[in-house]
Amino acid sequence: MSSTTATRNAIASRFEGLLGSACVVSEPASLERYAIEGSVPGAVLLPEDAEQIASALRIAGEERWPVVPFGGGTHQHIGRVAEDADVVLSTERMNTIAAYDPGDLTIALAAGATVAQARAACAQHRQLLPIEAGAGSTIGGAMAVAATGPLQCAFGGIREFCIGVTFVTGDGLPGRGGGRVVKNVAGYDLMKLMIGSHGSLGVITSANFKLFPMPPVTATFLCEFDSAAALFRFRDSLVKSPMSPLCAEVISPAAAEYLKESEPRDPDSWSPNGALAPQTPWLLALRFAASDRVLARLRHDLASFTSQEIRAHDENRFWGAVSQLEKHVLARHPNAMFFQVSLPISESAAMIEAAEASATNFNFVAGVVGRATVGSFTVVFLPLAIDPPAVTQFAGAASDFRSRLSRAASAVVVRCPREAKHHFDIWGSTPTDIELMRKIKRALDPYSILNRGRFFVE
Amino acid sequence: MFSRSIPGKLRKIVGRDAVLDRPADLMLYEYDGSLARGAPQYVVFPQSTEQVSELVKFAAREGLSIVPRGAGTGLSGGSIARNGGIVLAFARMNRILEIDVPNLRATVQPGVVNLELSNALAPHGFYFAPDPSSQKACTIGGNVAENSGGPHTLAYGVTVNHVTGLEVVLPDGRIAQLGGNAGSAAGYDLTGFFVGSEGTLGIATAITVKITRLPESVATLLAIYDNVQNAAESVVALTSAGITPAAIEMLDGWTLRAVEASVHAGYPLDSAAVLLIEVEGLREMVEEHAEAIQALCRKSGAREVRVARDETERQLLWKGRKTAFGAIGRISHSYYVQDGVIPRTRIPETLAKIEEIGRKYSLTIGNIFHAGDGNLHPLILFDSRDADQTQRTLDAGREILEFCISVGGSITGEHGVGMEKQDLMCSLFTDSEREIMLRLRQCFNPNSLLNPEKMLPSPRLCREAVSPGHASLG
Ligand SMILES: Cc1cc2nc3c(=O)[nH]c(=O)nc-3n(C[C@H](O)[C@H](O)[C@H](O)COP(=O)(O)OP(=O)(O)OC[C@H]3O[C@@H](n4cnc5c(N)ncnc54)[C@H](O)[C@@H]3O)c2cc1C
Ligand SMILES: Cc1cc2nc3c(=O)[nH]c(=O)nc-3n(C[C@H](O)[C@H](O)[C@H](O)COP(=O)(O)OP(=O)(O)OC[C@H]3O[C@@H](n4cnc5c(N)ncnc54)[C@H](O)[C@@H]3O)c2cc1C
Repeated sequence: MSSTTATRNAIASRFEGLLGSACVVSEPASLERYAIEGSVPGAVLLPEDAEQIASALRIAGEERWPVVPFGGGTHQHIGRVAEDADVVLSTERMNTIAAYDPGDLTIALAAGATVAQARAACAQHRQLLPIEAGAGSTIGGAMAVAATGPLQCAFGGIREFCIGVTFVTGDGLPGRGGGRVVKNVAGYDLMKLMIGSHGSLGVITSANFKLFPMPPVTATFLCEFDSAAALFRFRDSLVKSPMSPLCAEVISPAAAEYLKESEPRDPDSWSPNGALAPQTPWLLALRFAASDRVLARLRHDLASFTSQEIRAHDENRFWGAVSQLEKHVLARHPNAMFFQVSLPISESAAMIEAAEASATNFNFVAGVVGRATVGSFTVVFLPLAIDPPAVTQFAGAASDFRSRLSRAASAVVVRCPREAKHHFDIWGSTPTDIELMRKIKRALDPYSILNRGRFFVE
Repeated sequence: MFSRSIPGKLRKIVGRDAVLDRPADLMLYEYDGSLARGAPQYVVFPQSTEQVSELVKFAAREGLSIVPRGAGTGLSGGSIARNGGIVLAFARMNRILEIDVPNLRATVQPGVVNLELSNALAPHGFYFAPDPSSQKACTIGGNVAENSGGPHTLAYGVTVNHVTGLEVVLPDGRIAQLGGNAGSAAGYDLTGFFVGSEGTLGIATAITVKITRLPESVATLLAIYDNVQNAAESVVALTSAGITPAAIEMLDGWTLRAVEASVHAGYPLDSAAVLLIEVEGLREMVEEHAEAIQALCRKSGAREVRVARDETERQLLWKGRKTAFGAIGRISHSYYVQDGVIPRTRIPETLAKIEEIGRKYSLTIGNIFHAGDGNLHPLILFDSRDADQTQRTLDAGREILEFCISVGGSITGEHGVGMEKQDLMCSLFTDSEREIMLRLRQCFNPNSLLNPEKMLPSPRLCREAVSPGHASLG
């Protein structure tokens, strides 16, 4: 518990005076929902617009009260252990589609609009906003964590199609980068700075995106390989071929267990001396937007690698399962550790070898999914039920894994038990200049109130 | 050996033959592709990152400002030494440091010419996707600074979508790394933030870019119109039909006739506008899309749609587009290029507005632009020796950009703000929005010794923000 009842009341009444009591949540029972890794905030604010956010932040800054920006609350565990939040700033009332111009293929969204809501609106016009995030995730949250998914292969991450952003800095200044048009170089590119800043530089209040035509028909080829090395050899020829898949997702044998509707054969059902389904192949799922003619060509080119071609219902079910992977893993392994790994693609096979070796050394089993042609992977370390790792073993496994990667790679731990975070840095290393990052943090959050203690540069 | 004078000390850092300081030699560096002018005191040609760092430290000690310069093709005065100082010209840092095909990356020094990188990649089956029309001359360093685009930006994105890592020298001489050759890195995306900063944050000394596979098949179409509005409507129709060509470029009748007079690209002289459309990719897909595009263009009023039959015909159609500015330079004493952006649905009414503005100021305005992105390049013809005409040109340009802002657009899509559109930044961004940008510049370039008085207007300039009718060159 962060705040005493007395300070809680003081915080709440300060903001009630400013925003009106309807915009402030302070009853303990209602606050639970906004707990950050188990820590209940002092007060929750439900601002209705950027101006209210700005005035709330000015007060929080004056008082040096730590503030946590809050979207859907689905991934508040990402980051170092947060300093107890006095104030949670939720964007849930800022949830409108501010403007949608299907003729121009652009959309303007308030930060609290959900990704699902925005995608559904676009789907009605057969258009696609290629942001991939779980149910309940907001646009602001997806931007803050730079969420990615299989579609990154064709469309890139959010940075490649976000054309404008508004936000409020830690000291309450409203800021903006870009605008509503698809091409724009007036002023600094603040979209890039906000995307992936994990709520440490400002509270995002809205964002604009360019959209893409929804592919009318798609098909997915499931290609199987005996080993990761064989899969990535094929990937090397794929990136030189004229094929442009929408998705090129690697699924390791251990990860594939969680895509099935049956019980996974995972560490929980393991016998100490049995291997994990050795006959399970490595899977590369290639999804294409394709007419019949193009499909015929692809079928021909991919014939010797494809074990199965799936379309329509089966195809949707497959990709639905891929997007639910994290959820399915967590249902059985609430203590699983997830890494977001980014590396030069030629290092993919070595990275997987490293993950498997480190996992084994520290009583885990490694599973991998990710974008084969991009070098962006989710690596999960599943704890062994028969001999569960201690908190220090989480830290040990993460450090061991990182030490086996090249300097060009980053491996951020996006999920692990809270207690484990005290024993290592979840962020790991980065090639990017830390001193500049620190200066920027100080420039936009001079009182260091935004997500205090959680981000890289503190 | 070296004298104690400033040029002497500069020569000590970069070598005897790498410093210019005689007025006659400096004259060439007073210009870029814009209308702006400014004379540097020295032009220096560094050959390594370490030399850049030494030069920057030296300049800071002497209180001299530094202006980076690539090929000087910029269209907003970005590489002009506004208040003297040193121009750092990258002509001798022009090596391709690495071509890493397995990782789909190349690392280059800033002075590498855009097209030379693509030429070097071609034997491997790859190229560098951003293709400004100036690609035979402009440098990758300049592309990074301006976040340049080109005709194929529509499908492949602008420079920032292709840069993953940078080595930069900061104004205090420190060498900093931003990003690398992986697709992303933990921490803030300073690579993305740096691209498009117009040389106001740091000096890029090594640049890692994505390389793109050459397409298997390309079809180039020329849609011909008797009416500009129909051409504009075709763009809207293509966008809403969900077809994303690699490029959609538009030339209006006046411009295409000027082009035909110098290169015989094959644009019909009696037409009111043409669209140059390109589709790329798998052979089968290209054939299907080319058919669909022909049908859509006809439906929205094209009188004829031609498909280039071979590579020679294709190159010729593009030559017309890529040399258009030059062709116009041949018939008019001066021209002033605008770079406004508008939502694609507003192209028809914006073209009508530009015509009206041309009439209002009695000026000829040609239109050539990246239609698929809504990025307009109205070219205002004038004679810079005529003060009255020059003022009318500036006023007309300003009115066009104000119209772009009023329909939800922007004042620049790819040429940058530079020293030319600073006053318009006052109307595009609020005080607090500019204050945030200023704070960020200070994190990198605290005393503004690096490319001073560019892009961000001073608060004073905005307070005195001129009313329409008093546009100036900044
Ligand atoms: C690399 C990566 C890949 C992912 N891939 C997938 C996937 O494939 N499928 C899937 O279902 N999920 C995926 N996720 C998770 C998903 O993207 C997140 O659940 C979601 O984007 C978080 O949204 P939220 O609204 O719930 O934010 P919250 O959980 O409320 O917040 C998350 C973080 O963002 C900050 N934040 C929230 N809103 C704002 C705002 N308006 N301004 C500033 N900061 C804010 C918070 O302070 C917090 O630090 C991925 C996450 C990451 C990091
Ligand atoms: C005929 C013609 C056609 C054009 N077509 C296009 C087009 O289609 N698309 C487009 O986007 N632009 C176009 N341009 C504009 C121009 O070519 C681009 O802006 C180009 O990127 C500038 O490159 P440069 O090497 O000439 O840079 P310069 O003009 O020398 O400099 C431009 C800016 O970059 C900075 N700079 C240069 N090198 C560095 C470095 N290493 N580090 C930091 N800052 C640096 C300079 O200080 C300056 O601010 C065109 C120009 C002409 C003349």
